Amino acid sequence: MLSPYRVIDLTDERGVLAGQMLADLGADVIQVEPPGGSTGRGVAPFFAERPDESIFWSAYTRGKRGITCNLEDERGRNLLLRLLETADFLIESSDVGRMAELGLDYGTLQELFPRLIYTSISAFGQTGPKAHYVGSDLAIWAAGTPLLMTGDDDRPPVRVSQPQSWGHASGDAAGGALLALHARHKSGLGQRVDVSAQVSAAQATLAQILAYSVGSPDPERYGGGLKLRGVGSRGTADVSDGHIVMTLAPGPAIGHFANHAVKWLVDIGAVDESVGDEDFVTYADRAAVGQADPELFPRVQQIMREQVASRTKQEMLDISIEYDLLLVPVLDIVDLGQSRQLDSREFWREIGHGDGRVVTYPGPPLKVYLDGQAMDGRMSPPPGLGQDNEAVYGELGLSVTELASLESAGVI
Amino acid sequence: MTDPIGLPAGTGPLAGVKVLDLSWIVAGPTVGRALADYGATVIRVESPTRVDTARVVGPFHGDEPGVENSGLYGNVNAGKWGLTLDLRVPEAREVFRQLVHWSDIVCESFTAGILGRWELDYEHLRRDKPDLIMLSSTLLGQTGPYNTVSGFGSQGAGMAGVQFLVGWPDYPPAGPFGPYTDYPAPRFALAGILAALDHRRRTGEGVFIDQAQAEGTLQLLAPALIDYKNGGPALERRGNDDPQMSPHGVYPCQPPDDRAESWIAIAVASDDQWTRLAPIIRADASLTLSDRRERKDAIDEQLTAWTKQRSAAEVQSTLQTLGISAHVLSNTEEAANDPQLSHRDHFRRLPHALHGETVVEGPRYILSDTPVDIVRPAPQYGEHNEQILRDVLGLNEAEVQALAVSGALS
Repeated sequence: MLSPYRVIDLTDERGVLAGQMLADLGADVIQVEPPGGSTGRGVAPFFAERPDESIFWSAYTRGKRGITCNLEDERGRNLLLRLLETADFLIESSDVGRMAELGLDYGTLQELFPRLIYTSISAFGQTGPKAHYVGSDLAIWAAGTPLLMTGDDDRPPVRVSQPQSWGHASGDAAGGALLALHARHKSGLGQRVDVSAQVSAAQATLAQILAYSVGSPDPERYGGGLKLRGVGSRGTADVSDGHIVMTLAPGPAIGHFANHAVKWLVDIGAVDESVGDEDFVTYADRAAVGQADPELFPRVQQIMREQVASRTKQEMLDISIEYDLLLVPVLDIVDLGQSRQLDSREFWREIGHGDGRVVTYPGPPLKVYLDGQAMDGRMSPPPGLGQDNEAVYGELGLSVTELASLESAGVI
Repeated sequence: MTDPIGLPAGTGPLAGVKVLDLSWIVAGPTVGRALADYGATVIRVESPTRVDTARVVGPFHGDEPGVENSGLYGNVNAGKWGLTLDLRVPEAREVFRQLVHWSDIVCESFTAGILGRWELDYEHLRRDKPDLIMLSSTLLGQTGPYNTVSGFGSQGAGMAGVQFLVGWPDYPPAGPFGPYTDYPAPRFALAGILAALDHRRRTGEGVFIDQAQAEGTLQLLAPALIDYKNGGPALERRGNDDPQMSPHGVYPCQPPDDRAESWIAIAVASDDQWTRLAPIIRADASLTLSDRRERKDAIDEQLTAWTKQRSAAEVQSTLQTLGISAHVLSNTEEAANDPQLSHRDHFRRLPHALHGETVVEGPRYILSDTPVDIVRPAPQYGEHNEQILRDVLGLNEAEVQALAVSGALS
């Protein structure tokens, strides 16, 4: 879909997913690294058989081309400027102010390339009192408010063990850049897209970040659920080989799922058939005025927990599908790796690396059909350092000899 | 545009783009909100007989639960027009078909198969409208043995591995806050829809997008997944530990008088940063990352002894001045007063018919030349029924009345 467009991707580990999203939608994305390699190549984990090769970096450069360019050298900057003549998008995630030091800030590039869409990803945004704060996954999650809401109530708040903040920000960068593309269709002009990871992280609060602003109390952290006004409600339950997430509640929005759960309990003989006559869609209102037994629902919850405890994650998933329950297993990484659902959707892709290895990757995030025809993401292997120098710089008219001398001078 | 919008057009890059938004709760509506922010005309379709969960989840205005009081619903539906339709009623399905004809983009998040039963899925709709762009967004996608699994993002968090990966090794999974798949999914969907719109503009072709919200979320776990799939270890939850940073964690600070606790997030990313932190907590500045990881407990104790004596704000300021990443774990009052978020105009106040005023979040990207104008708060139930049926579909008063009587509008 985006095949007419070229993206010059200057991001490091803080923004590297954004370009990949555009690549998976068809754009020609050229990852530009310093001659010594991006700092992203140093981010864990690493391939067991290749301890110097970052899985993180491979994960998010899959589908891109890769070149090297020393932006600290004037010759390197000139090469970049020539490359930008062919580009629609630039994405960068360097420390705020760094692009200006290099003479590559938005103001400068806008004059040279008025159609260029210049997207910046940073921890707090390009301007403002915290623009120069040092960001990190944890600090961003703290500043955007999801961190305080997450964790067990007797332990400190806790993040996701695979860092998430920059991924959310990168996702917003891709969306913002494409909105700017549509603006360019109208105005003929590019513009600056300024993404703040702090703001992106706030998305992970289910709008609870607005609690104070609308006059509601903050939720408090509670393991496996949430706590409001000091009352915790747990959404997870134990099963024989791990945990499930189970939502069981009366009410107009989801009471029918509770009815389904009761039907299962009746079918297996865990509750009397008479319980199956209760309608949990309207139960709460009736219980409040004494027209339904207020003890009934808590008893159903308790029996449900007892019944699931002796079953496996897989058994409960199958029951959930059969009876249409709000209940799924808590999948771990091994479960995901063996998921029949993901296999059936051909989620995993084997991609040959240049050195003969075949590496399994997650496929693209969306299944896209153009006029009924499936379109795939870009499944080329992550580029080695400077892998596409010849092809990309060659398009600009640089000869192999010129490239060799630029390489020995440390420019590429 | 040859086709009149029928409703007052928006301004901005997407002005003139018409969106029919049948999605619900958060993952889908967030996409429509972004399109509305930038000028698209978005009609949000819902049924009060099957209440959108976002309407019954807080935060509520004045802490009063109620289907017109939800800050969550308000946040993900601001800028849209509201129409109520009960698609179980045949007359409602006919209205829907006519609105599809009007629209450029349809977003929906019904359980896989439901729209097909009514012959309203993409395969049917494209026959009359080949250039339709349609997003079908569900937890696990349109195909596969578990495609019909019901659930909110909380179930999605379980199915996408995130529930498992939040918490402590010696505790059951704590899980992330709320329905986690609702957070990454709309980013991927929005990018897909904007790319589709661009593609259609050039080629005239329609586009169908099958989104499994879990598969979007898995993109954010890609390193762990690739590691395991290629013979490496399976990542387990590990508290706030980070293999490449130390100290790294959440540390207690001196809380203000009216609060029981207060926390600071600290991430020391290099030996260089450590040499600046070590003297103030009376630790050995020469320790390398592996030294510090080995002595993690002792160092955390030293660091805690220092943070506990200070307010989180003071620790944040001291460490940031030293070039070390640190930030208060903000609560929502602190966020509302955060000078950085204020600088970005993040909390947008909108006049509201019931509440006088409501607050929604601003966009998560600032476009320098096309700022966002959020023109109206999220619709109340059926707020624009008459206007839409009359001005978009050209129905007269008697026809609107007949629809209401048929039950189509409930």
